[in-house]
Amino acid sequence: MNDPNKISGFPNQSTRRQVLRAACAGLAGATLAGQLAADKGGLLPHHTPRAKRVIYLFQSGGPSQIDLFDHKPVLQQRNGEELPESVRRGQRLTGMSGNQSSLPLAGAQFKFAQHGESRAWVSELLPETAKIVDKLCIVRSVHTQAINHDPAVTFLQTGSERAGRPSFGAWLSYGLGSRNSDLPEFCVLITKDKGGQPLYQRLWGAGFLPARHQGVQLRAGADPVLYLNNPPGVDGGTRQRMLDSLRRLHEKEGNSAVSALDRIEQYRLAARMQTSVPDVADVSSEPDETFELYGEDARIPGTYAANCLLARRLLERDVRFVQLYHQGWDQHGGLPAAIRVQCKETDRASAALVIDLERRGLLEDTLVVWGGEFGRTCYSQGKLTSNDYGRDHHPRCSTLWMAGGGMKPGTVYGETDDFSYNIAENPVHVHDLHATLLHQLGIDHERLVFKHQGRRYRLTDVAGRVVEDLLA
Amino acid sequence: MDARYLVRLSAMAFFNLILALSPQVGPPPVDFTRDIRPLLSDRCFLCHGPGDTAEVGGFRLDLREEATEDFGGAAPIVPGDPANSDVMARLRHKRARRRMPPPESKLEMSESEIALIERWIQEGAPYAEHWSFVAPRRPQLPGDQGPADQGPSAQVDEWARDPLDAFILARLESADLKPSAEVDRAAWLRRVSYALTGLPPTLSELDHFLAAQEEGAYGKELDRLFASPRHGERMATQWLDAARYADTYGYQSDVDRTVWPWRDWVIDSFSVNQPYDEFLTWQLAGDLLPNATREQQLATAFNRLHRQTNEGGSTEEEYRVEYVADRVSTLSTAVLGLTMECAQCHDHKFDPFSHEDFYGLAGFFDDIDESGLYSHFTQSVPTPALDLPTPEQEQRALELEEAVVQAEARVAQALADSTPTTDIAGQLQGWFPFDSIDAATPEPTEDGKPGTPGPKERLRNLAQEDKHGLAHRELSLAEGFQGQALSFGGDEPATFPGVGEFHRSDPFSIGLRLWVPRNFERAVVLHRSRAWTDSGSRGYELLIEEGRASAALIHFWPGDAVRVQTKQALPLERWVQVTLTWDGSSRASGLKLYVDGQLAAVDVVRDHLQRSILGGDIKHLSLGERFRDKGFKGGRADDLFVYGRELSAAEVARVVLEPAPPSATALDAEPSELQTALEDLRAARRARDDARGGVLQVMTMSASITDRSTYLLERGSYLSPSHEVEPHTPAVLSPFPPGANKDRLGLAQWLTDPAHPLTARVEINRLWQLAFGNGLVSTPEDFGSQGTPPSHPELLDSLALDFIESGWDRQAILRRILLSATYRQVSTQSASAHEIDPDNHLLSHAPRKRLSAEMLRDGVLFSAGLLVEKIGGPPVKPYQPAGLWQEKSGKVYHPDKGEGLWRRSLYTFWKRTSPPPSMMIFDAAKRDVCIVKRAATSSPLQALVLWNDPQYVEAARKLASRSMRSGGDARQIAGQLFRRLTSRVADEEELAILLQLQQEQHSAFLAEPEQAQALISVGESALDTDLDPSELASWTVVSQVMLSFDASLSTP
Repeated sequence: MNDPNKISGFPNQSTRRQVLRAACAGLAGATLAGQLAADKGGLLPHHTPRAKRVIYLFQSGGPSQIDLFDHKPVLQQRNGEELPESVRRGQRLTGMSGNQSSLPLAGAQFKFAQHGESRAWVSELLPETAKIVDKLCIVRSVHTQAINHDPAVTFLQTGSERAGRPSFGAWLSYGLGSRNSDLPEFCVLITKDKGGQPLYQRLWGAGFLPARHQGVQLRAGADPVLYLNNPPGVDGGTRQRMLDSLRRLHEKEGNSAVSALDRIEQYRLAARMQTSVPDVADVSSEPDETFELYGEDARIPGTYAANCLLARRLLERDVRFVQLYHQGWDQHGGLPAAIRVQCKETDRASAALVIDLERRGLLEDTLVVWGGEFGRTCYSQGKLTSNDYGRDHHPRCSTLWMAGGGMKPGTVYGETDDFSYNIAENPVHVHDLHATLLHQLGIDHERLVFKHQGRRYRLTDVAGRVVEDLLA
Repeated sequence: MDARYLVRLSAMAFFNLILALSPQVGPPPVDFTRDIRPLLSDRCFLCHGPGDTAEVGGFRLDLREEATEDFGGAAPIVPGDPANSDVMARLRHKRARRRMPPPESKLEMSESEIALIERWIQEGAPYAEHWSFVAPRRPQLPGDQGPADQGPSAQVDEWARDPLDAFILARLESADLKPSAEVDRAAWLRRVSYALTGLPPTLSELDHFLAAQEEGAYGKELDRLFASPRHGERMATQWLDAARYADTYGYQSDVDRTVWPWRDWVIDSFSVNQPYDEFLTWQLAGDLLPNATREQQLATAFNRLHRQTNEGGSTEEEYRVEYVADRVSTLSTAVLGLTMECAQCHDHKFDPFSHEDFYGLAGFFDDIDESGLYSHFTQSVPTPALDLPTPEQEQRALELEEAVVQAEARVAQALADSTPTTDIAGQLQGWFPFDSIDAATPEPTEDGKPGTPGPKERLRNLAQEDKHGLAHRELSLAEGFQGQALSFGGDEPATFPGVGEFHRSDPFSIGLRLWVPRNFERAVVLHRSRAWTDSGSRGYELLIEEGRASAALIHFWPGDAVRVQTKQALPLERWVQVTLTWDGSSRASGLKLYVDGQLAAVDVVRDHLQRSILGGDIKHLSLGERFRDKGFKGGRADDLFVYGRELSAAEVARVVLEPAPPSATALDAEPSELQTALEDLRAARRARDDARGGVLQVMTMSASITDRSTYLLERGSYLSPSHEVEPHTPAVLSPFPPGANKDRLGLAQWLTDPAHPLTARVEINRLWQLAFGNGLVSTPEDFGSQGTPPSHPELLDSLALDFIESGWDRQAILRRILLSATYRQVSTQSASAHEIDPDNHLLSHAPRKRLSAEMLRDGVLFSAGLLVEKIGGPPVKPYQPAGLWQEKSGKVYHPDKGEGLWRRSLYTFWKRTSPPPSMMIFDAAKRDVCIVKRAATSSPLQALVLWNDPQYVEAARKLASRSMRSGGDARQIAGQLFRRLTSRVADEEELAILLQLQQEQHSAFLAEPEQAQALISVGESALDTDLDPSELASWTVVSQVMLSFDASLSTP
């Protein structure tokens, strides 16, 4: 417990002690010592971080870049025409639209306008986001590999399509530890009752990292963290007496078992969480002004707006990584109606979060990321009519925005072709995105490694480059 | 001794142990296997290692001949001459850009490591084959001087209880360590009880053992534990992690699946101590054993437990090859201790396994008739699937089959007696001339107002006016064979509700005229099904595949279906009449295709229809389109007819010539003898088939595909098959047994060949890990060059050989380990051990281990008297916080009522995308992929589970009431509580802590009786109304404290 690298909160049994041990463990330890020193790529952070915290607003299902950010008049002009083979170039489609007898181009049915000093195009669906474009770093050239949800979401969140790899937040927890002793360093918030493409525990899992690095879900309702509340009949006094007894038992047991001493700390932290979590989840002390900013939805626990507000409260308490999920962007059919609903649910609160963080002086060192797992096709899945269309999954380009945390504000980066099909300029692969985000957190993505099954694993696998153009 | 060494050595703390290890003068030679290969592998092999990595580095350091080769005046390694070895120059190069490892690798070599390599080169740079790829050799017993045996040392004689102890002691002595004292009996019994049964000893078991004086009392306890049915459950739990066992498919939809019979087989296998070689053989190739029993086939489900997907739009082949790859990875991790999955995309960077080797192994698992996607719309068990009838079902099936056989005989007789007729009017359900599309009258709305016209319009049925077809608006009429015909765009169907709804036992015939505009690779002409891969194609269908007509009846494609395909392609751009007839037999021979009235020669593509072709939201017969399938774009259809019986060849020939439907003349006639016999046969088959539908099915391996070739996939991608690869095992391992087939059975023979270098070692390591927490190889998932070399290589080999010689008897090995002096040591670490061997690699004391998630929960339930001990059966759903499933996927978790709440944890329903949180918090495996070692972490969330999960709150109450009921005063109650959970007797200080808490709580609850009542009402188990609420509540709090006590959460 005296380990200088030990992170309070979720104890990070750092490798330092083991390194010291290994140093005197002889030849067998010689390689071990080298491995351990290299395990995390040396002391973290690797360089001065620009961001201390991350909030990832994950838009699950794949929002249509064409209807939100990637303005393509050509699609509107050529609405209904067949997708030219010169554009598609035989690339694979999903089995949902791949067998259609035709692939008609579908222009966005929404008005676009340029906003702010950056003159960024934003569709009428996102009026609040449009107002803050000068704070945003919009990337229109994010591309990925997988074409189905499960592998694509898994890839975005873990850097691999395969199961069993740690999620982004788990990597941060492992690499940087906690900045807060009373709350989990990696919190997960899911919009309630949304439906849509299912989410899964694995997305915020620790993979092969120790389980303590996994995300902890904060849920709307009485038990914001699983098992947080005392059982009926156990009040604060009882709990305190239990803790006292446990401390005494363990102090005595500690003579023969080090693990017993660790328990004292573990239980003390658990008891602290029991008060700190309800505190952070309780928004009753927020002024009315907060709800004017985030919208009245923010009063209803479990909404996207409420989660954005909760995220801000967690960040204020120095939680390292907050991962939001908002399902429902998977609009294979009936896109125009469905996307309106999605935008209405998220636009205001997303923008409010950025504004709120800025005015509290937190945006400077907080990275906000908004985006989905892939983009959507420029052709209509299903029938294209005068007022309706659907769009299938499209891994070759999507739009994402970031704010704060040393990202260059008022930026629009990357170009797609006239069809928003292929990237014309400045592609940003998911690995590049990860490398860039880690860079802002003071981490060299090639040095944040964990040895598992004989191999040094990274969030960025064997690829990824920091996109310098995006950095302020 | 070279003075330079002394200087260098004294500068290095790393060498302390080496010096300690060598009482003789001077350092022992560097050990390549232990010291050098791991270093070279870790820092150099990425570019100078096996496979194509050397293309980067130019030469390989894993091969001595390349490492010592002269590359134009300089050799990387000059044995005996570090000064002239290029490796040394590069390792110590002053310029970072020239130094190795290069900066961009982000790897470093410390000076002490470099010095080690230098010394190794000085000593002649001896290489050795990688230890784990060489078959184990019988080592000399430490202290044994060979043929002139002077017997083991005095200390060995005194301390050791088993030969294995001699190996441990030798390493301890050479490190100047001593073994620790023997643990007390109660602690040992707690250890072995958890190790072998996953549960603590009962109080009477403790008492009995403590009192037992006789010789062999320890062994008798092991006998008892091995014989306990709980042993199978305990051992199975560990294997379920390796087998990535779960009750759902995984991936995002994560639908439930039935695989628990396999889990029960595993329990049985451990209970009867099935030899490990047989355990493996059954799981890998049970179906290929001669006269394979049902159990042997069931065991093969092991290779189907990987995740599977049904996500809409996924490519079937992409996932099928992924499943095959998972089988290879799982086999290599769980059984071989190898990281073969690295070679899925390229040559292995560290071990000598090529990209080709991966697909060589994949070839063994490519032999089953499976789909890469399971069905979204139906509950079909993905094929191949094994029927698991109950004895009653099995008996019934025999009777029903006999009835079918008899009915078939009566039909044959009746056919022989009757004169062939061409009564083409009988049982005609539909005759659609497609000469017009009639505007549909809009259906009125519910409140009686006229409805809006729908998108579909009518197609006349001349056989039954009210059963008209519906044409989507997009469909048009075009010139027909006679009059008009339907013309298809490929995206919209014509549908025929109420027509053609046939069971597989119903004979039927369907025909139509087609205009095929081009040579379709695939086009859906006609079907009665919900979808293609999204429903496993369940139903029946007539397709064009590579230009040929293809008819099928399908339960789940491809493994449960019949399909025939015409040998000739259909003619293009002219009218052709195609009729399919079906006799209800469920055999391909009963499915006929006629082209222009002539019986067509066909290839039988599948002949294995076992289950229903109905169900799964099938709505109607359709033409020209299917959900997410390729439609009949540009094609035309005319004169569709549907019969509820099998037309004879003569009848087909006549119908084809008919311009209009025959009038129903024969309906009034008495049914002929043949008709009656046919109807009886249909009924007999229906009865048989319906009964079959109720039989439980489990996915298994069943070799049926002989013509599938396995390809090397570039970068592991299904889109990039390179060349065909024959099934083979990696050349660097033991040879494939001569004469063995290149199939899964041959693979099993290879694995269990005594000459195999890995199989026995990996299993021994698993057993050692079970006992000590760490294996002799602390990286059980990697016995390759990046793994940690064994702490006691001779011991590992010795036990591996003993294991093979024992007939792969796991219990025999476990017994030796658990009775050994090594295992019997106390777990306290001495000061010298802390200094010399802090991580206890040398086992100078026993480990204190935290209980696994399962042991923890099961042990508490058991101590509380709540555990419902019932072996096997469907999974159960204990308490779980509400809403966890719902918020992710919309599904609802309904906890069981009654015993399902208190079964052993290996029966808990395992949902991959939302595994039980209280188990996950205690480091249970997620079961997405094969795991052979769990971490034991510590987090505040664990405390919250122990304190607040109703499972534990309820158990605390039951523990309290149980202890109170067994009588005695408060001291005795507290003492019993303590002992039940920790298996040891509380001392005075501990008792005092508990008693003080109980008194304080008692007062508190007396003051607030409603609090007491609330606490003792948690959980579904019976309330303890006979006990004083405040007292019970106070003891419940004491129990809760005890549940969180480290001694309750660990083995001593």
